[in-house]
Amino acid sequence: MSLITTRPEAGTARPYAFPAVRRVTAHGGTVIAAHLPGQFLASAVLLLDASAAREPAGREGTATVLAKSLEEGTRKRDSTAYALALEGLGAELSPSVDWDTFRVGVSAPAPRLAGAVRLAAEAARTPKLDPADVERVRDDEVTALRMDWAQPGPRADAALRADLFAADGRYGRPLHGDPASVAAVTVDDVAAFHERWMLRPGVLLVAGDLDGLDLAELAEAAFADTTGQALDLEAPLGLAVPAAPHVILVDRPGSVQSTLRIGHRAPERVTPDYVPMTLAATVLGGAFTSRLNHLIREVKGYTYGIRGSYAMTRRAGRFEVAAGVQTAVTGPAIRDTLGEIRRTQQDGVTEEELAVARSWRAGQLSVEMQTPGAITGALATLVVHELPDDYYETLRREYLEATVEQVSAAAGRHLAVDGLTLVVEGDGAAIRDELAEFGALTEATV
Amino acid sequence: MGRVTSPTAPVTETGYPWPIETTRLANGLRVVVSEDRTVPVVCVNLWYDVGSRHEPPGQTGFAHLFEHLMFEGSQHVRKTEHMRLVQGNGGSLNATTNPDRTNYFESMPSEHLELALWLEADRMGGLVPALTQETLDNQREVVKNERRQRYDNVPYGDAWLRLLPLLYPEGHPYHHATIGSMEDLNAAGLDTFKAFHQQYYAPNNCVLTVAGDASPAEVFALAEKYFGAIEEVPGIPTAPAGHLAGPATEPVRETVTAAVPAPRIYLSHRTYPFGTAGYDAVTVLATVLGSGRGSRLYQRLADGKRIAQPDYIGSYGVDLAHGPAPLIITATAKDGVDVETLEDGLAEVVQSLIDEPVTGDELDRAKALLTTSWWRQVSTVGGRADTLGRYTTQFGDPATAGSRLPAWLAVTADDVTEAAVRTLQKESRVTLTYLPETKA
Repeated sequence: MSLITTRPEAGTARPYAFPAVRRVTAHGGTVIAAHLPGQFLASAVLLLDASAAREPAGREGTATVLAKSLEEGTRKRDSTAYALALEGLGAELSPSVDWDTFRVGVSAPAPRLAGAVRLAAEAARTPKLDPADVERVRDDEVTALRMDWAQPGPRADAALRADLFAADGRYGRPLHGDPASVAAVTVDDVAAFHERWMLRPGVLLVAGDLDGLDLAELAEAAFADTTGQALDLEAPLGLAVPAAPHVILVDRPGSVQSTLRIGHRAPERVTPDYVPMTLAATVLGGAFTSRLNHLIREVKGYTYGIRGSYAMTRRAGRFEVAAGVQTAVTGPAIRDTLGEIRRTQQDGVTEEELAVARSWRAGQLSVEMQTPGAITGALATLVVHELPDDYYETLRREYLEATVEQVSAAAGRHLAVDGLTLVVEGDGAAIRDELAEFGALTEATV
Repeated sequence: MGRVTSPTAPVTETGYPWPIETTRLANGLRVVVSEDRTVPVVCVNLWYDVGSRHEPPGQTGFAHLFEHLMFEGSQHVRKTEHMRLVQGNGGSLNATTNPDRTNYFESMPSEHLELALWLEADRMGGLVPALTQETLDNQREVVKNERRQRYDNVPYGDAWLRLLPLLYPEGHPYHHATIGSMEDLNAAGLDTFKAFHQQYYAPNNCVLTVAGDASPAEVFALAEKYFGAIEEVPGIPTAPAGHLAGPATEPVRETVTAAVPAPRIYLSHRTYPFGTAGYDAVTVLATVLGSGRGSRLYQRLADGKRIAQPDYIGSYGVDLAHGPAPLIITATAKDGVDVETLEDGLAEVVQSLIDEPVTGDELDRAKALLTTSWWRQVSTVGGRADTLGRYTTQFGDPATAGSRLPAWLAVTADDVTEAAVRTLQKESRVTLTYLPETKA
């Protein structure tokens, strides 16, 4: 047999274009819709300025309890009737809360989308919020959080966040609260949050074959009977990276892996360095061939996977490396991880590595943006960060044009190996002693 | 008649309205192309008809470990280069192994179609010369870490590993889990893997599917160019037969006390092979029973009696085609609810599918949810390529993919009841219970 020995050259690329975007305004709200010809499925997301950051202190998780209460019946119908009406259209409600927004999403075959949006808006705007239901949902959420926190990861995430954002109120607490803060949420907290933040029109994001969708009808469904003006944006929190690294142990007796969450604060999404930072993180820990994955997984075999990335919201940013490593190699895995972060910070990236990162990030804009759900997500980014409709074309060009000098400079500016917080969730008895070499050690109480 | 849809339901003549063209190379490689120019993306997908069901005793986990080795270089592709070339040209890639088969796929900007085909051909025809002991040792450690991360270090993480031997008798191809045992993985030698590749990674044991921004003529020509010289392998061994004469006749029960946060129960039954009318009825049944807030389980146990946690209740079939596929039903106790109460509640709801006919509304709801999930599955070129690869491998014809959604929509209430009567009797039930360790 003879295989073809030489790698083929690329063919001619078709020009990249984000789907055409249309807008319709009604009742103070805007529908932003992307046209995906030939798609049978359509998605819609009601995007509201009602993020977790708006929750009162000590009651973190209020928005999440509200999100889960939306389907416990509306002023029009009880929870069973609501479930049957919505699921009878083939749709399920997906309410979610993040640091910038509250989202209520539905997907359905295009001819059924308008009905699904009407029901989504009914739940978002006029939930019944019967006190007994809200209390039960809250109790269930406490139990669900305990279930979740029994897995490796959430406690380490909470410890890292508490350390990085200690002085920033809500941002120092977990996105969905913790079992104690959710237990403290009252019916009045939930009702007040709804009243205060969920009744403004907001934005409805739509993706699907628009030839079969009536945007005016969707706008009416989403925005009728809403009141209030859009809120002013608040300023970013700014940076605070400590001068020396320190280690936080989260004990998980008997754990066969150590869960690593290693990070520091970083600029917010608005930073002009967004593109070079993203590319630097891709070289360090984003792609499969990244420095971290190559060394820790492919060469050393310490882990099933390791990732490094920046997470950037409107008001806060952070750099983080996340991995689960075999308990016995916890120390060596951390040492190698720090070595790669230091090397990237000090020496930057190479053209060969950057070529992979550039093309991958640019290509992902088409490869990973095929579904209606992915496209509504992309539209949300435009709205939340006030970006223009041609942003993705610009972003693609900026990825492809970024130079080694720009990306290396961004790595130097936005990595801080000597200011890292190293959270290690694992079997304390087995790993405690070897953690001391990485900085002052404390134990978390989460 | 008998087809229940709501007035606004889209007309569903086929679940696969895109064109499909096929050819077969002289070496037996089947090539399937489904052109769609909407986005400049193309997916290349290969289904190899080898999975953990082919593994003999003492070699559990080999098919999956082998999948890892396929990313570590081949005759003309250096170690680590495969990933670098796919991601470095904008693509997304992965591979999965299950009891039935192993699939490899990459979605690429369409100008890199030829690169993807070259990479796949090189590891189909030229893996063995590049396979080294060092690579095997390294990937064995990665797989052991995968096992720790996904099964051993997670509460309830080993449920699937425990259910399989309870559901399928010793010697049945589904008796052991795909991830395999640490002991078998440790014993794996290089020569075994070389032989494994030579035996199963053959053009005549594979379906190559390309969906998206490419024409059939172009793909057929490239397939011939890159795969045409790879030789057919005669006499590929088949897996042990997966047929079982009817449901189990004795209930089986296992109770595990472990570091879990709440009592949880898994009930499971063997049903029918994926692709049969019986399994279509089971698919609808599973949706009526345990998918969404309108399902019987949610309505009666999460709402209703309020004995189960709402986020952790449901039922689903595992779509295996070479033997009766399992239906899995699970619920987790709310605080203060004992496990007996939960099990009684679960058993009562399962029994209701036998005693209490499914209503028109329940059937409508299930079919609407299945319709959405079908269109979601084929909303990407990657989802479409994998679907066509499956139907070609398992049923010999990619066009049969179009009949699944209509078949679900044709299931009647009587079909669901009959499936329940045949498969959900107490006598054939596997019950796996997790109990939290009592704190000292």
